[in-house]
Amino acid sequence: MSTDLTALVAEAKARAAACTTLGALDEARVHYLGKKGVITLELQSLGKLPGTERAAAGQRINVVKQGVTEILDARKTDLEQADLAAKLASESVDVSLPGRGHEAGGLHPSTRVMERIQTLFERMGFRIESGPEIEDEFHNFDALNFKPDHPARAEMDTFYLKDRPFLLRTHTSPVQIRSMLKVGAPIRVIAMGRTYRHDYDMTHTPMFHQVEGLLVDEGVSMAHLRGTLTDLMQRFFEQDDLKLRFRPSYFPFVEPGAEVDISCVFCHGSGCRVCKHTGWLEVLGCGMVHPNVLKACKIDPERYTGWAFGIGVERLGMLRYGIDDIRMNYDNDLRFLRQFQ
Amino acid sequence: MKISVNWLKEFIKLNDDAQSIGKRLGAGGVEVASVTPAIPAFEKVFVAEVKSLEKHPSADKLNVCQVDVGQGKLLQIVCGAANVRAGMRAPAILPGGKLPDGTEIKQAALRGVESSGMLCSAKELGLAEEATGLFELPADAPVGKLLREYLGGDDQLIEIEITPNRGDCLSILGVARELAALYGKTLEKSDAAPVKTAIKDSFPVGIQAEQACPVFASRIIKGLRADAVTPLWMRERLRRSGLKPIHPAVDVTQYVMLELGQPMHAYDLKRLEGGITVRMAKQGERAKLLNSQTYDLQPDLLVIADKSRVQGLGGIMGGGESNVTAATTDILLEAAFFTPAAISGRPRRMDLLTDAAYRFERGVDPQGQARAIERATQLILDIAGGQPGPVAVVTADKTQIKTQAIRLRRARLASLLGISVPDAEVTAILTRLGFEVSADKEGWNAVPPSYRFDIEIEEDLIEEVGRVHGYDKIPALQYPSRQGMDRLPEARVDLRRLRQVLVERGYQEAVTYSFVDHALQTRIYGQPEAALPLANPITEDMTEMRLGLWPGLLKVLQYNLNRQQNRIRLFETGLRFTLQADEIKQENTIAGVVSGPEFPMQWGEADRTVDFADLRGDIEALLRPASLAGRLESQATPHPALHPGQSARLSLGGQELGWVGALHPQIVRSLDLPQGALVFEMRLEALLDGKIPAFEAISRFPAVRRDLAVIVGEKVSGAAVLAAAREAAGSLLQEVRIFDIYRGLGIDSGRKSVALGLILQDSSRTLTDEDADGAMQRVADRLARDLGATIRD
Repeated sequence: MSTDLTALVAEAKARAAACTTLGALDEARVHYLGKKGVITLELQSLGKLPGTERAAAGQRINVVKQGVTEILDARKTDLEQADLAAKLASESVDVSLPGRGHEAGGLHPSTRVMERIQTLFERMGFRIESGPEIEDEFHNFDALNFKPDHPARAEMDTFYLKDRPFLLRTHTSPVQIRSMLKVGAPIRVIAMGRTYRHDYDMTHTPMFHQVEGLLVDEGVSMAHLRGTLTDLMQRFFEQDDLKLRFRPSYFPFVEPGAEVDISCVFCHGSGCRVCKHTGWLEVLGCGMVHPNVLKACKIDPERYTGWAFGIGVERLGMLRYGIDDIRMNYDNDLRFLRQFQ
Repeated sequence: MKISVNWLKEFIKLNDDAQSIGKRLGAGGVEVASVTPAIPAFEKVFVAEVKSLEKHPSADKLNVCQVDVGQGKLLQIVCGAANVRAGMRAPAILPGGKLPDGTEIKQAALRGVESSGMLCSAKELGLAEEATGLFELPADAPVGKLLREYLGGDDQLIEIEITPNRGDCLSILGVARELAALYGKTLEKSDAAPVKTAIKDSFPVGIQAEQACPVFASRIIKGLRADAVTPLWMRERLRRSGLKPIHPAVDVTQYVMLELGQPMHAYDLKRLEGGITVRMAKQGERAKLLNSQTYDLQPDLLVIADKSRVQGLGGIMGGGESNVTAATTDILLEAAFFTPAAISGRPRRMDLLTDAAYRFERGVDPQGQARAIERATQLILDIAGGQPGPVAVVTADKTQIKTQAIRLRRARLASLLGISVPDAEVTAILTRLGFEVSADKEGWNAVPPSYRFDIEIEEDLIEEVGRVHGYDKIPALQYPSRQGMDRLPEARVDLRRLRQVLVERGYQEAVTYSFVDHALQTRIYGQPEAALPLANPITEDMTEMRLGLWPGLLKVLQYNLNRQQNRIRLFETGLRFTLQADEIKQENTIAGVVSGPEFPMQWGEADRTVDFADLRGDIEALLRPASLAGRLESQATPHPALHPGQSARLSLGGQELGWVGALHPQIVRSLDLPQGALVFEMRLEALLDGKIPAFEAISRFPAVRRDLAVIVGEKVSGAAVLAAAREAAGSLLQEVRIFDIYRGLGIDSGRKSVALGLILQDSSRTLTDEDADGAMQRVADRLARDLGATIRD
């Protein structure tokens, strides 16, 4: 027995603690436990001892070997954890920084309004129809019961094409005609899109959008029109207590006809600047489809009746989003558009 | 039209105030635009008399007046009006008083002379839009009386706006009739009593245009006093309705138009020759009208002519050669029924939107002419005296007056309104509206009054009953759906999804006008013959329909770049309008414009200006919902708006899809843009036609990735390299992509290195090295043979 085994354990303990890297620790392991290690050599020297001492000496050396192994393993675990901690620390990011890539844009408020109305009507089983914007007199006027010399026709402020018998549709109502001629009755459709009138001032743009609704079936009454419009307005503005007021009005393609006011969405009817202190906002025109219109579309007005309505999209958008100048819609100022994400 | 409530109350007794009357009218269908006081808000304004005046010592244009305002002592007021004179009566506002515009009047010195108030013009008092001097009051105006009281006290004006079918409401009488029906009352005034004729004279009238002028009534009145003046009450009522006093005879015709709705005209009898003929204008005919303008007449105009010339445009404006003047003593009054069809459209075309034309276009009572003449005669005699002849009514066409009963079925009434109205109420409503009603078992027969020629069919009667009964009594019901679910074609791409693709990529949607500037459009598309000009554009830069969406988007680009926005990403969808082989084509289009940095300013990405490949990526994203991205073909092709080296014509299966490219520097310069931009435009329909996904089995065997770099000439397109590689690799190829393009050191100029990554895989076995090597060799050989490629080591 050449070495003081008790001192060896203490020495290994001190040496392991002094190792700051896994490499140094590995060298220590080789020093004690490697093929030529101190403890390995001790075990090999057992053979030189007399047989009676051999068992006891071997047991002592193995206790020491186990002790040193545990010391080295424990130190290894410590060093590995410290390494991992350092690696993780070096990989940390500033989680507060904004992300990379595109920032989503948005839809124009008029599109936003139309998509919203489209969704509401799709849920009721209405089909979406569309039609041309350069129209003819038949679909824009004649079939809609506008008599040739009636002032209603002149009041439409129509744009005409140069040298061609066409006009820019003044409303989405021609789509009613096209749909009825295509499908007949019963029918339930909505149509949306651009319309044009020769009018340009503080409160009018020469182009604007309309949404048109049409339902023709057996036994359709003005009460059904009121039901659908009440739903539409309450759902669109998300105000379940919104009230509707029907005022008699005139559109050649409906009879009876009405204009519809809603209770002011800002003051709920108590009177404010937007509703000019009336408590009411004019939002749309509607009525029961005129028999002459049904006839022009080859539908029997004795068997079928129907309702139709037309809404100004910009008007709804202005009320919904608080836009105070209709012309903003067509300036396409990014500072305006970006508010509709 | 502005309706004076005091005037209205001469026709119908109503206890309601103006606001309530307005609400009732509105609920009945006559829209009320405003209810305002007839006399503007002014305070401490009195009838005053100028007793004497002398020149202001230090101001040429000012007079120092001694004014009696009924306070016992005279007030000294400095006045600058040119028409001020001693003995004149005019309104005076005293210190402490207020003008309608808010000006407070104070005791003040004008150029050193004390002034205790101000003598007023009609304009200053808000009684006229223009005024040339003091508001001269009649010589009998009571000095010291409050002007407000003198002018008739607290009247209110209800401004109504009628729908085009309700011309019958364009008068005091008409509104009174409407209110009588709505309130269930009877009218106060009946027809005016005929005036006793004093002479037998009448003027010959012949009607040639019988359809256009079914009735022409006239009367001669001789010997009017030349010094007659229109009384203040009448002038005040004209003013309240927005009309200006001109001459007693003219004022009366205007007054009767306002009161009864029948436009009239007064001719100077001595300036008419022979007789009157009502006929259509002849080709080449000219006429001088009341406004002193001379017009070339179109043959669709109705004229009133005498032996020598056209003396007026029937229903639009009287002539300038026979109008009443200060010297007139003998007149011919006219009250005619011109049909709407004979007037409609002409006033607007000629820019002669007169009060008469407004009424005739909407239709006047075909039976109201004689009554109007009688009423006018009575007023003229009261004001200016004179001897009236008989009323001469020429009726050329009686068919205009409808006497046919219209059927109203009880069941139809209930089914259309969705409510049942009690029988007695239906009868009462129609009767109150002036219909002749008879009831039977199933319903009613109703003959409309002559002034309600808008009532033609059963539905018109239903509206009448509904509106007087009250639309608000109609409940809200749901129509039961009888239809099953609508079709939902899965292969069809929803436009809403396409818009969302661009929105997610940072685009903001724009909506631009469909009509654009001709010059800009021609510069962009270079095909003016395909554009559709408007006959009546609203501004000079919106003259023709757009051939595409670029003119609008470029204007928006310019607008925003000019407002400190340097990163622009905008898109639009909508129709474009082209003339193709004389056919108008309206095609749905999607287009966009991008400019400035590709990404918003951020820390994680180098600042990089958007380029062609960025935009191409956006286009492919738009094609993906219809599974078309892999089929996009783009051909370098010049376009007038695009940079010749960065311009591509896009197509799908050989069919034109659209264009993409960088703006031509000349366009950038002509729009004065501070930076360049890229644009795209595609037919929308092509992007909406997709397909339903069909599952393909996934290979269980591993895939092999092999790379290949080849050097090709600059002119060889990436698409050509990919296509050749795809074809040569054969069925093992899953995917091939270009992952690098290099020019510079080690590569001859005029050539470029293109690095390809190929994924090879078989569905039935694991590929061997020989399989992969063989495929790669075929690709290399093909690129060398077809595209002159050399392999880069």
